[in-house]
Amino acid sequence: MTRDQKTYRLAYWIASFIIAVTLLSGYHKILYPADFALSVYRFHLLPDMLVNSSALYFLWLEVVCGLCLLFFPRFRVAALWIALVLLVIFTGAIGINLIRGTAFSCGCFSNSPAARPMDWLSVARNGALMALVGLALCGFKHSR
Amino acid sequence: MKTTLKQIGIILLFSGVISFLANSVHPRKIPWVQDWSNQVEAKAKAQKINVISLAVALDKFQAADTVFIDARPEAEYAKGHIPGALSIPIQSLEEQFPVIGSLIDSGRDLVIYCRNRDCDDSLLLATELQTMGASTLVLYIDGFDLWKKYGGATSSSPADSEDTVPPAQGIDP
Repeated sequence: MTRDQKTYRLAYWIASFIIAVTLLSGYHKILYPADFALSVYRFHLLPDMLVNSSALYFLWLEVVCGLCLLFFPRFRVAALWIALVLLVIFTGAIGINLIRGTAFSCGCFSNSPAARPMDWLSVARNGALMALVGLALCGFKHSR
Repeated sequence: MKTTLKQIGIILLFSGVISFLANSVHPRKIPWVQDWSNQVEAKAKAQKINVISLAVALDKFQAADTVFIDARPEAEYAKGHIPGALSIPIQSLEEQFPVIGSLIDSGRDLVIYCRNRDCDDSLLLATELQTMGASTLVLYIDGFDLWKKYGGATSSSPADSEDTVPPAQGIDP
């Protein structure tokens, strides 16, 4: 196996992990869009009129990126770039709310009102995911 | 790079189309534009009253220095409430002034709740208590319905509604 093939394989496995994360994160939002809209509202970062439309758009963008990574190899790099930008936006939003002192869950992986409120671990988790997306991007770039 | 940008554009556009179509046929579809300012939560934020979710309320329930206050009507309280909670319905606020006074003086954390997210009795009570000088109060927004649904402890004992500040919870001597 050549070095390029090894790099591609590593990037492939990382991308597979990111697919699992995006689909896991997206399915409950698709099932209960009102709950996700409430989570978006609770960030208090968007004007009221943009809350629902942003929630609907972002949840599908996340899922479409996961599906592109899974089924459309040609779109993998583009989907990874979008996933990276989404992670930067979400992490920034969580950070701002932590500084403000919020007591709500980020709605990232669960809509349950009993879900743990967001904390700096959520930021660390997103940081780790960003690093993985970056690695996958580098891997696909080097193996082209 | 040009190809990647083009593909990014396609994904962004496709996501917009699919979100529109999916929401049109979704059994739990939501309006694209909603007036969030009517929500009890938004009104509380406007009045600078801190709002907490079920997870935080469950944590506070274990804390020794927290008093739960039930703002629902007496009849609903009698059917079931959070153990140790005081019943202070907004309709009978004046009758409860002595209790409220001792609560505020005790300096303990006050968690005010109602039925659900749409019930604003808890907000009205929180506003009154804030006006009377309570500085350590929070509004538990998810209400008793979700508390019960997610397995929070409940009680229907009338003993909780005595005219005294309840003892600290969650501490065994």
